[in-house]
Amino acid sequence: MGKTIIDAHNVSKTYKETAVPVRALQDVHLHIEEGEFVALVGPSGSGKSTLLNMIGGLDEPTSGTVYVDGVEITKLPENKLIDFRLQNIGFVFQSFNLIPVLTSRENIGFVLQLQKVSKKDREKRVLELLREVDLEEKIDSRPGELSGGQQQRVAVARALASKPKIILADEPTANLDSKSASNLLDIMAKLNKEEKITFLFSTHDQRVIEKARRVITLVDGKVDSDVNQKPT
Amino acid sequence: MFLKLAWLNIWRNGRRTMITVASVFFAVLLAITFRSVTDGVYENMIHNVVSYSSGYLQIHKKGYWDEQSIDNSFEADEELSKNLLDNPKVTGLMPRLETFALSSFADKTKGVMVLGIDPTSEKKVNQLNEKVVEGIYFESNSAEQILIGSGLAEQLNAKVNDTLVLIGQGYHASSAAGKFNIVGILKLGSPELNSNVIYMPLKTSQYLHGAENRLTSLSIMLGKTSDLESSKEAIESVIDTEAYEVMTWKQMMPEMDQFIEADSSGHYIVIGILYIIISFGLFGTLLMMTFERNREFGILIAIGMKKHLLAYVILLESIMISLMGCLMGVLGGTLIVHLLTEYPVQFSGSLREVYEDYGFEPIIYFSGNIRIFIYQTLIVLVLASLLSLYPGFKVLRLRPVDAINS
Ligand SMILES: Nc1ncnc2c1ncn2[C@@H]1O[C@H](COP(=O)(O)OP(=O)(O)O)[C@@H](O)[C@H]1O
Ligand SMILES: [Mg+2]
Repeated sequence: MGKTIIDAHNVSKTYKETAVPVRALQDVHLHIEEGEFVALVGPSGSGKSTLLNMIGGLDEPTSGTVYVDGVEITKLPENKLIDFRLQNIGFVFQSFNLIPVLTSRENIGFVLQLQKVSKKDREKRVLELLREVDLEEKIDSRPGELSGGQQQRVAVARALASKPKIILADEPTANLDSKSASNLLDIMAKLNKEEKITFLFSTHDQRVIEKARRVITLVDGKVDSDVNQKPT
Repeated sequence: MFLKLAWLNIWRNGRRTMITVASVFFAVLLAITFRSVTDGVYENMIHNVVSYSSGYLQIHKKGYWDEQSIDNSFEADEELSKNLLDNPKVTGLMPRLETFALSSFADKTKGVMVLGIDPTSEKKVNQLNEKVVEGIYFESNSAEQILIGSGLAEQLNAKVNDTLVLIGQGYHASSAAGKFNIVGILKLGSPELNSNVIYMPLKTSQYLHGAENRLTSLSIMLGKTSDLESSKEAIESVIDTEAYEVMTWKQMMPEMDQFIEADSSGHYIVIGILYIIISFGLFGTLLMMTFERNREFGILIAIGMKKHLLAYVILLESIMISLMGCLMGVLGGTLIVHLLTEYPVQFSGSLREVYEDYGFEPIIYFSGNIRIFIYQTLIVLVLASLLSLYPGFKVLRLRPVDAINS
């Protein structure tokens, strides 16, 4: 057995700001080990985003605890949590991930600068990362000059920049055509294999699901099934 | 990095930024021009008034101001005058012996102020010679001659070449009486002075009062109105403050100082309103700039950017926008003030007559005081910082999930 990287216990989330409280997650248990490539699936409204937000420390569960790499993030004060995310968690959202006024180089370099990486090392690393996502020639393009798929690949490169333990991606392919979607998934799978980076991504795209090695299905805020499969 | 990011951010909506920059530019330009005119007019007024009356600063024997008698006069001191003139801010000195006397001509008698002056210094400092409307100016510092205000001449019914009798009190209770030839009539700006003053060469006056080489005051002229307090301190440091008192025109003419203060408080309101208007514009722009980037902020916080750094970027954006407008405004203001100083605006018509009646040049003066420019810049910077507090505070309270979902 590998090292546990994500460990969620009894995580429940109820949104109380709404007229009728919404129970988005109910007693979710989740255990993910280093190097896994996991798809989180389920119908719209089943709680996928909510769960990813809890794991990424973007929101607090109503009850339950979340450990990431052994740290109980549900207990971290805000600035510590932001730092923890900077060092350990990469995020890819559905769309508009990048700062529109910055080039690919600057968008990726930004994270490295937050980490206080020297200029020389930054340059090297940015190139390396863009090579990983096969976008070296777009190093000086702004997001507006990139296709949706290319933007998502730059976003993945940025998520990788800080050498995180895990990358959380909330429907990263939802706005992509199927070719770009499978291209993005191939890149993610390659990074998972070569760099041993743990991926947890939500999706409801059947072709994307097929690329995962483990599929966790949520229904009504509960884990409905959790199966290992052979990716295509 | 943050500087660059802020700079790029403000040009996301270049038109909006330019409009905001332009509004700051016009406000600063207006404020500077306005301050420059009002300060210029005051400075000119002060200069005119003090050059005929107290000077910017006066040195007296200690206690003279409270008891203005010739017995509180002091011995003129060459060394002291030299010391004072060594100060580069000091442009001139006017030694005076100021007394009161009864003047009579034919059957008319009137109490008057007798100003013993050094004809050369006064000519240099306030061109007293040019105020002579009839007759001539003093021929020497010891001539037995007097100049009288035109108002006084009318009241006494005296003309040039008439002889006036003066009776007063001299130094240490000696009597001072004499007959003097009126060589000229002066038209002075201040009506008060015009109907009450008699000028006399200093030596003549000292002799008349049995006060050889004594002065009641030594008036000091300065190159710049704003050097008042610093010059006072400088002078106090070189003279014996046990024996002498140094007073500013503000202390000697508190009414004029109060008038100017009261008058300028109105100007502060005008400028205040100007800045309130641009504040609204800048604030609106800042709000739009931050709220339309809410989601982006959420993502930045998610990937590890601390909120205070985001607030800092917003502060930078606010300062950049306003500083651009401000610097352009200062540049434009400098240009306007410079041009109008080189090519002054002349009054015409009745306003011109009023000015000339009071002995002022009918010109709008502009103050080039650097403080005006620095103050406006500081005000704008403080405003920009204050206005970015609210969006900054909003960012500090931002929850990344909400922002990303927005
Ligand atoms: N901020 C919120 N306030 C209230 N209800 C919310 C909020 N976010 C999500 N929900 C609700 O929680 C449930 C789960 O949402 P979500 O996690 O976004 O599902 P998914 O990502 O699987 O589509 C839904 O019923 C949704 O309406
Ligand atoms: Mg979702």
